[in-house]
Amino acid sequence: MELPILPTSVVGSYSMPSWLERLKTEYSLRKISKADMDEVHDAAVKAAIKDQEMAGLDIVTDGEMRRDNMIDYFAERLPGVEIDHTSKQFYYDYFDSVVRGKLPIAAMGLVDDLNFLQANTDRTVKFCVTGPHSLVKRIKNEYYPGEAEFALDLARVMNLELKELVRAGAGWIQVDEPYYSGFPQDLAWGVKALNALVDGVEARIVLHICYGNRYGKPSWAGNYRYLFPTILDANVSELTLEFAWRGGEDLEMFKEFPNEFNVGVGAIDVKSDDVETPDIVAERIRHALEFIPLERVVVLPDCGCHNLPQPVALGKLRAMVEGARIVRETLGA
Amino acid sequence: MIFQVNHMRKVRAELISRVTTTLLSLAEDGKVDSAILPHLHVLLEWIQYRSNFRKTAMVRKSLKNGQPSPSVEIAIDLRQVDEDSLPRILEAAAAEAASHALVPSRVVLEPFGPMRSSMIWEFNKLYWQHRIEWEKATGKGYENALPSGSSDGHNPDAIGDQVAKFYDLVADMDDRGQLPERLYVMEFGVGSGERAHRWLELFLQSDRSRGTTYYARIRFLLCDYSMEALEGALELLGPHREVAEPREVDAMDPFRALSDLRYKVLYVHLTNVYDNLPTDDAVLRDGRIYLIEVRSYLDQADVDDLCRDYALDAETFPDAVRSLLERGPHALDDPEAGVRFWMALWGKLQLEERMVTVDSLSDASLPSGLKSSHLEELVTSGPGTVRFQLSSGAVGSFAGTIPLLHPRGYLEVMDIFVTELTQYRGGFKGPGKMDGSVVNWVNGALLAEVGRQAGYDVHFKPFTYRPGSRTSILYTTHRES
Repeated sequence: MELPILPTSVVGSYSMPSWLERLKTEYSLRKISKADMDEVHDAAVKAAIKDQEMAGLDIVTDGEMRRDNMIDYFAERLPGVEIDHTSKQFYYDYFDSVVRGKLPIAAMGLVDDLNFLQANTDRTVKFCVTGPHSLVKRIKNEYYPGEAEFALDLARVMNLELKELVRAGAGWIQVDEPYYSGFPQDLAWGVKALNALVDGVEARIVLHICYGNRYGKPSWAGNYRYLFPTILDANVSELTLEFAWRGGEDLEMFKEFPNEFNVGVGAIDVKSDDVETPDIVAERIRHALEFIPLERVVVLPDCGCHNLPQPVALGKLRAMVEGARIVRETLGA
Repeated sequence: MIFQVNHMRKVRAELISRVTTTLLSLAEDGKVDSAILPHLHVLLEWIQYRSNFRKTAMVRKSLKNGQPSPSVEIAIDLRQVDEDSLPRILEAAAAEAASHALVPSRVVLEPFGPMRSSMIWEFNKLYWQHRIEWEKATGKGYENALPSGSSDGHNPDAIGDQVAKFYDLVADMDDRGQLPERLYVMEFGVGSGERAHRWLELFLQSDRSRGTTYYARIRFLLCDYSMEALEGALELLGPHREVAEPREVDAMDPFRALSDLRYKVLYVHLTNVYDNLPTDDAVLRDGRIYLIEVRSYLDQADVDDLCRDYALDAETFPDAVRSLLERGPHALDDPEAGVRFWMALWGKLQLEERMVTVDSLSDASLPSGLKSSHLEELVTSGPGTVRFQLSSGAVGSFAGTIPLLHPRGYLEVMDIFVTELTQYRGGFKGPGKMDGSVVNWVNGALLAEVGRQAGYDVHFKPFTYRPGSRTSILYTTHRES
């Protein structure tokens, strides 16, 4: 499907309903069967897709409704990762997970979720995965000599899964690496692991880097200067960054460090329940266009909508889509 | 009839026995309406505050869907009750419990409503606005009314430790190359400014002694709802005024006035602010939740006395109360008499309560900052039968403060906290009267749940700087799990 100028998308997650949170917690406490939980997840994914379509997004995701958080969904699927399933009381908490030997190669089962997404929408779809740097920050390592080695091996295993996703039709794959911002000193090996992850993966690769959005608040402070110039070595098509709540000062760096990246411009503040007007969104996009060519800009929220109430999330996405339309119209694009 | 004993002291054990036998005798004599007996819950408890809004025996009726429901409660304060008056008090309470009519000997000053909206909070505000006049009349300052005679917030050793903790945080951020241009520090409820002055003085000393220059980056935000208090505090800061900034802030909704500081503040401190903010109470019983509604009243005899002493017309007495709340002691021609009227009225003011059944927490009219999910977790894991505080103002303040915190920032609150719901079974934790103000314990367990759902772990530690202190220190850390 051909995308317009200034295509719109979500970063990954959609509003997590409180009823689903309760059910997920009950599932993690073994009060609901897997079969029932799968049905619940299917219904929630369909609802998330529907909302994204109603908002008018060009590129949609499954809302990450099946995921407890950005780590456990992968930790549970990665071969060789041991999980203590009794280690959390609330679904959103992280499992205690550990690697005690070299990771074996095995399918992670992500293709099933991609297939479900593709079967339920005609829009362009994007599949999101947590990157190796972020995963090694939460999965305890008792085997590899260091985090860098652990991340590289994770990338090796996950690379095969990403290629399976491409075979199943994934055209857009997003890698989430928020922990770069918490550990800027790791960036060099983080990018190496990222490149190993996407090596030979024939899809449009998006790299999302934010300052954290767990519980709807930032986990770290700072600015994106730490990314440059190292990030220029990342083999990705698009960098998706947050500019709404933080302001657009960091956009200057895209002039200071010439590059070919498309840029996903975070134009919606997902840490606030106040719904932006389309004009505010349009202003944020116009500001980004002072630094990035029009044809290289994608419009998104700052980060996932997981923590927003559903009416707020839908309202924000609608405003975002309308804001992009206003800019297109103004520019005659 | 169900008896529930929430407090047991040796000297009261016999009295508790007398309460039960007296009530049973009254029932035998037909002085308790047999229709209410299957629905009567008798609560024997200890009221935390000697000066409070309750009579020795308080009757709480209940409502469901706006209609009277059979469940009724008689709550007896074991602190006030004595053997001689017991039969008379219990007989009157039983009669009130069985009647649908207004008790004729009371002058009601407001309709039933949530406790947080009661006029007792207008009296509370009046006190803080006209505290000087109150203190002049009593001859003692507010701090003299505190159990320790002074605020724990001013304790030099405590402030020293608070400064050391903050300095360590700043130094660590510096080591990691994460030092922000401005180091925002915030204090709500600045009082005289004494604590802020001491804190800044000690921080400057630490900075100088270690050869660092962090003090120059400090922006100390003095926050209070009273501009007058802020000006006084600024004055006391002396040369530290250079790094201070006054902000007029409603402690119950701090984010409204401070949203420009979202995710920027490294350290927020409050002492004895939460315990003075409006609250609501809820009752959990047999798997059902009730919200408490209240209305203020005075006994007719007290109104008669006040009218006689202050030359007021009994017919328009509620108007005189309203005028006092709006104009302060100047509502009377002689302001000194106005203060005396205010003090006498406050001393006599009582609350009537009723319980409103909540069918679904998600449909309940909960205070700002409180979501049904906060309560669901608490009540499902808490004791089966308990009355607890929703600490409405404190929750609003807490929920409106944490979005101000920098990713490495923390909140520190010194106050009187209930840290587990089961502690409410040991006695009634407020509201009570402290001089002219309202005071409550604060539901720390609920704050912990609000914090958890917002990504903060909430911890409590005892205030060890003064032996016997009931103050606890609440502090937050960013939730990692």
